[in-house]
Amino acid sequence: MNILTMMWRNVVHGYQTLLFPARPKVTPRFRGLVQFDPALCTGCAVCRFRCTSRAIEYKAGKGEFTWSYNPGQCTFCGRCVEGCIDHALKEGRTEHALSQEQDTPPIYLAQGALKKSYTVARRPPAARPVSAATKSAGEDARTTAGKDAGATTANVGAQTIAGVTPATGAAQ
Amino acid sequence: MNPLLTALARLLIFPGLLFAVPAAWFFLWVERKSVALMQERVGPPFMQPFFDFVKLLGKSTPPRSGIAGLLMRAWPLIAVAAAAGAVGLLPVLPISGGFEGDLILLLALLELPSVCIIAAGFSSRSIFGEIGSAREAALSISYNIVFLLAIVSVAASQHTFRLEALAGMHPTFLTELAIIAILICLPAKLHINPFSLPNAEQEIYAGPMTEYAGPELAMWELAHGLEWVAGTGLVGTLVAPHVTAGWLAACLFVLFSFAAVILLSVLAAATARLAIDSSVRFYWQCTLIFVVLAISSALFLRFRS
Repeated sequence: MNILTMMWRNVVHGYQTLLFPARPKVTPRFRGLVQFDPALCTGCAVCRFRCTSRAIEYKAGKGEFTWSYNPGQCTFCGRCVEGCIDHALKEGRTEHALSQEQDTPPIYLAQGALKKSYTVARRPPAARPVSAATKSAGEDARTTAGKDAGATTANVGAQTIAGVTPATGAAQ
Repeated sequence: MNPLLTALARLLIFPGLLFAVPAAWFFLWVERKSVALMQERVGPPFMQPFFDFVKLLGKSTPPRSGIAGLLMRAWPLIAVAAAAGAVGLLPVLPISGGFEGDLILLLALLELPSVCIIAAGFSSRSIFGEIGSAREAALSISYNIVFLLAIVSVAASQHTFRLEALAGMHPTFLTELAIIAILICLPAKLHINPFSLPNAEQEIYAGPMTEYAGPELAMWELAHGLEWVAGTGLVGTLVAPHVTAGWLAACLFVLFSFAAVILLSVLAAATARLAIDSSVRFYWQCTLIFVVLAISSALFLRFRS
């Protein structure tokens, strides 16, 4: 009887299918195309490592590197954006959402036709401001490591991250 | 009126081809549309079955040589002719001019499309066609026992095999039981859920129809639609009350057939496809007992009177 009730409710509510010119509304969790900012990228290639669908390609060269992204191959899992420590990648929610609501989706006839490549000159990682919280965490970690000779792995990790990052920043 | 002219008018005009072909497309649309609405889909536009038919007529078929090709072209035409003949035999109008024994002819004509489907699947030499045909054959011998016994029990209780007499009889408990049995058999006869396994979509492509294309497939679609009209029309004639006015009888026939289509569509939308062993077990174990009850009570009534 449950299925009959459900079917009756469906008939009363009407259909959910959208006819051609109409497009589905973009949901808040929509990710969209990955947007790349060459100015922020340091060429660490973590995004390429994290991309399971192999939509991101990275080629290292002398003094420069080539980063390319193929939307036709992307599954929009967002792992590249999540793993980008330089914030050079972001989810193009607004850009792609607009195109999805107003225009037709991108059409491509050959494999890799939508692929975009960027050749970026290699340079050291950009300096990142050290927040007060990070500073205190770093000090705590150093203190713990200094006090206890047999420091745990977690403490060592914390020391490394907290200690090295500002140093790198200072070196730059 | 000349009996030959009456027979021709029944076969070609009402309830024959002139009425049955648009009705077939309409019933196919009603089934698809109502199932779609129950599944929150839009469903096809009103003219879609007609467009499908015309489109298929315009397509070419792959060349097939030899006797197998000839047979493959013949089966859909035989199925259409049989289904149209079955619709033409239905005693819709009050004075329809039937003959003694036309019920047996109707049962034979109703069964012929199913036999054609089995033969077509094997003629096509496709593995999917053969699987579909084997399923259709297994299903056919399961539901036909119930279907035939249900109709025979009604006929035996009325001492006649004339359709007109059966359509005009007063409803009894026995006829209601028989109508329920026929309604239970119709999903298997029309290949809809839960007995859609001969042409199981997404499973064995289109079953016996896998190798068919173009006008031949159009003929199969038409035969399927005419089977809908004949199957639901049989229920409609048995259920509809006896009236003297011709137009009222025709309206009641259409109305009850439409109600049967809606009922079958609801069943199709509410159920999933059963496996062949479950389907066969359903007809042999669950339904047969009621039909045996019906026929034994019919025979009992006959000997008592």
